[in-house]
Amino acid sequence: MSLRETSVAVTDPETDLAQHGGGGVTPPPPTPRRRPRGLGWAGRFEIALLVGPALIMFLGFVIFPVAMAAYYGFFRWQGYGTPTDFVGLQNYVTILTDPTFLEALGHNGFIVIASIVLQGPVAVLLALLLNRRMRGQSLIRVLIFVPYVIAEVVVGTGFGLMLQTQGAVNGLLENWGLGALAHDWISDPAIAIWTLMAILTWKYVGFAVILFLAGLQGIPEELYEAAALDGAGYWQTHWRITLPLLAPTLRIWAFLSIIGALQLFDLVYIIWGQYVASTAGTSTMATYMVVNGRNAGNFGFGNAVAVVIFVISLVVALIYQRFVLRRDTAGAITEGKKTR
Amino acid sequence: MTGVRLNEEDRNHMKANKILTGAVLLVAGTLGLSACSGGSGGTNADGKVEMTLWQNSTTGPGQQFWKDAIAAFEKENPNVTITMQSVQNEDMDGKLQTALNAGDAPDIFLQRGGGKLAAMVQAGQLMDLTDKIGDTAKSEISDGSFKAETYQDKVWAMPLAVLPSGFWYSSDLFTKAGITTPPTTITDLESAVGKLKSAGVAPIALGAKDAWPAAHWYYNFALRECSAQTIEKTGDTKDFSDGCWLKAAEDLNDFAATQPFNDGFLTTSAQQGAGSSAGLVANHQAAMELMGAWDPGVIASLTPDEKPLPDLAWFPFPELSGGQGEPGSMMGGVDGYSCSVKAPKECADFLNFIASADQQKAYYAAFSAPPVNKTAQAAVKEPYLQEVLAAYNKAPFVSQWLDTVLGQNVGNALNVAVVDLLAGKSNPQQMIQSVTDAAKKG
Repeated sequence: MSLRETSVAVTDPETDLAQHGGGGVTPPPPTPRRRPRGLGWAGRFEIALLVGPALIMFLGFVIFPVAMAAYYGFFRWQGYGTPTDFVGLQNYVTILTDPTFLEALGHNGFIVIASIVLQGPVAVLLALLLNRRMRGQSLIRVLIFVPYVIAEVVVGTGFGLMLQTQGAVNGLLENWGLGALAHDWISDPAIAIWTLMAILTWKYVGFAVILFLAGLQGIPEELYEAAALDGAGYWQTHWRITLPLLAPTLRIWAFLSIIGALQLFDLVYIIWGQYVASTAGTSTMATYMVVNGRNAGNFGFGNAVAVVIFVISLVVALIYQRFVLRRDTAGAITEGKKTR
Repeated sequence: MTGVRLNEEDRNHMKANKILTGAVLLVAGTLGLSACSGGSGGTNADGKVEMTLWQNSTTGPGQQFWKDAIAAFEKENPNVTITMQSVQNEDMDGKLQTALNAGDAPDIFLQRGGGKLAAMVQAGQLMDLTDKIGDTAKSEISDGSFKAETYQDKVWAMPLAVLPSGFWYSSDLFTKAGITTPPTTITDLESAVGKLKSAGVAPIALGAKDAWPAAHWYYNFALRECSAQTIEKTGDTKDFSDGCWLKAAEDLNDFAATQPFNDGFLTTSAQQGAGSSAGLVANHQAAMELMGAWDPGVIASLTPDEKPLPDLAWFPFPELSGGQGEPGSMMGGVDGYSCSVKAPKECADFLNFIASADQQKAYYAAFSAPPVNKTAQAAVKEPYLQEVLAAYNKAPFVSQWLDTVLGQNVGNALNVAVVDLLAGKSNPQQMIQSVTDAAKKG
């Protein structure tokens, strides 16, 4: 894949230019390329010194742990001493045939899709609303963003208490004469995942709104003026101008949302505790990892689960980058390849 | 141009030097920090001994007991300093294992026994206490209690409390529902549940969010269905093929079908706050719960005035006809304390100290739980604790909690499997199967 891309970029730079509209991405002029070579050892030393700390941190705290997890994943290991009981791919076989893991994977998939479907439209509408001049605009902006700032543990504990069967929400419903609407919001497996989605939406929609507001600021006013002169209506304007020009922001937001949904852990773990998430139908791959790895004391198995989560997230991220984000990041990516 | 370049390079040199110095300082600082944090305690050059202690009580009197015990011990041994850390019960096992793995274990810590103790011994993490137990402790604590802390003929922990399982109930609510005598058979229990329901009370509180309280139901049914030999054998082999295990799951499934538990038991925790199962009993929101003998203390901490529940009473798990378990058998643990293999020798002195009759009386007063020391047991005055001790001393067989016996991996899987069964997510066959499958992960 990368080979082909490189060859396209090298053999036919004009297509590349045309793709990016020419203006944004000019091929790097030859002089700056040569300059680093002429800098001598002092310049290289400076580069090494500046890049070094970040590189060491990255290697030591990202690459090394991932490699170690892959290594430990091949062992049956309780965590005491060094691992000795090599079991090959047995842990991976167990994971991928464990119905509990497959359920968790399914929940992650559901959360990925439901997050985008639920939060996206709501956030776009809220952003459009907040983009207009009105009274109390900044207050509403702050209020919508507040849930995103509150710690997950606080949100989880709060909702966990309020949504208990004997909790405040059911109490309120009964006082309002709506007792029929009272449910076991978090313990009924049929609705627990929807409860989770509602909390996730409440928590993260503010982040999407802020991103979209920033995206809206970047749309030139002239386009709206021109559209108005041409007699475009409200929906037409937004459909033809706002949405297309907001699309890069939407795509980045969806990417962040997908990655967040795949790695969801804290809210589930706080609300449903160490054990009952899988029973209530809200378990995620990450809670599965903690329950069956750390809490059960199966550190080898837990590391194998971590690797599986990593690979799944990486594949999803790469596919998204390749097919969806490519238009937005194409410049950055081709640049990187050329200098390499 | 070249001149400028040279200057630039000079400046680069200076900058580089400064950065280099900074980096060296940073590295040195990090090393210094890590040097400070390594190791948990030990004997300093000047003969001062520092030890750390992890215990699982988060209630007021429980924490106070440990503070007082430490203060009294430090007064007798001025060269010793002990730092206590309260670890929430459900977090204890995970944190402890992480600390043990990291070689940074506390010197003194809660020991639940069973497979968990065996794993720590096999990993060489515990101090052998066989010859360090004092004569007073040996004579005042029963052999049975030491047996719970013994593995491969060596003693690895000092027992502190006997905590058998049984029903803690509000006698007021029982009377109100027209229940005159505590149930002695499962059929009795089912009819009591029916009466309590018609009286408008949640019959049984269950903290299934923490999984183990739900699993205690299964352990007790298994204790009635399975012989002592089968239970001990399964503890070693983790083989659940004996029919009695499935039978116990079916018993529990049938009992759960009568819907005896509080609404939303799946997300009810065991001990945290008024909404927990202990809190429901403490506030007369539910009539009873099946729990170990630490429950009176937990319930007392959750009553509105934080005083013991006046109408609290106890009865043992009812008998079941047709099972292979000997009637009167009890499920329940002995809570003890272990020393890390790296702990200074004063650790054993501290354990002997807290096992003494005076400290055991204070332990009983703080936790409202039956102490292990026979001299201190004589001081127990609550009728329900006297009943617990009587039943315990009479029991033909006392099994450790099954999750403890089976060790962390299979034990945890069993607990979750029971919750799945109670939630209607699996049937008895699937429950046994998922426990068997868990053995593959460890």
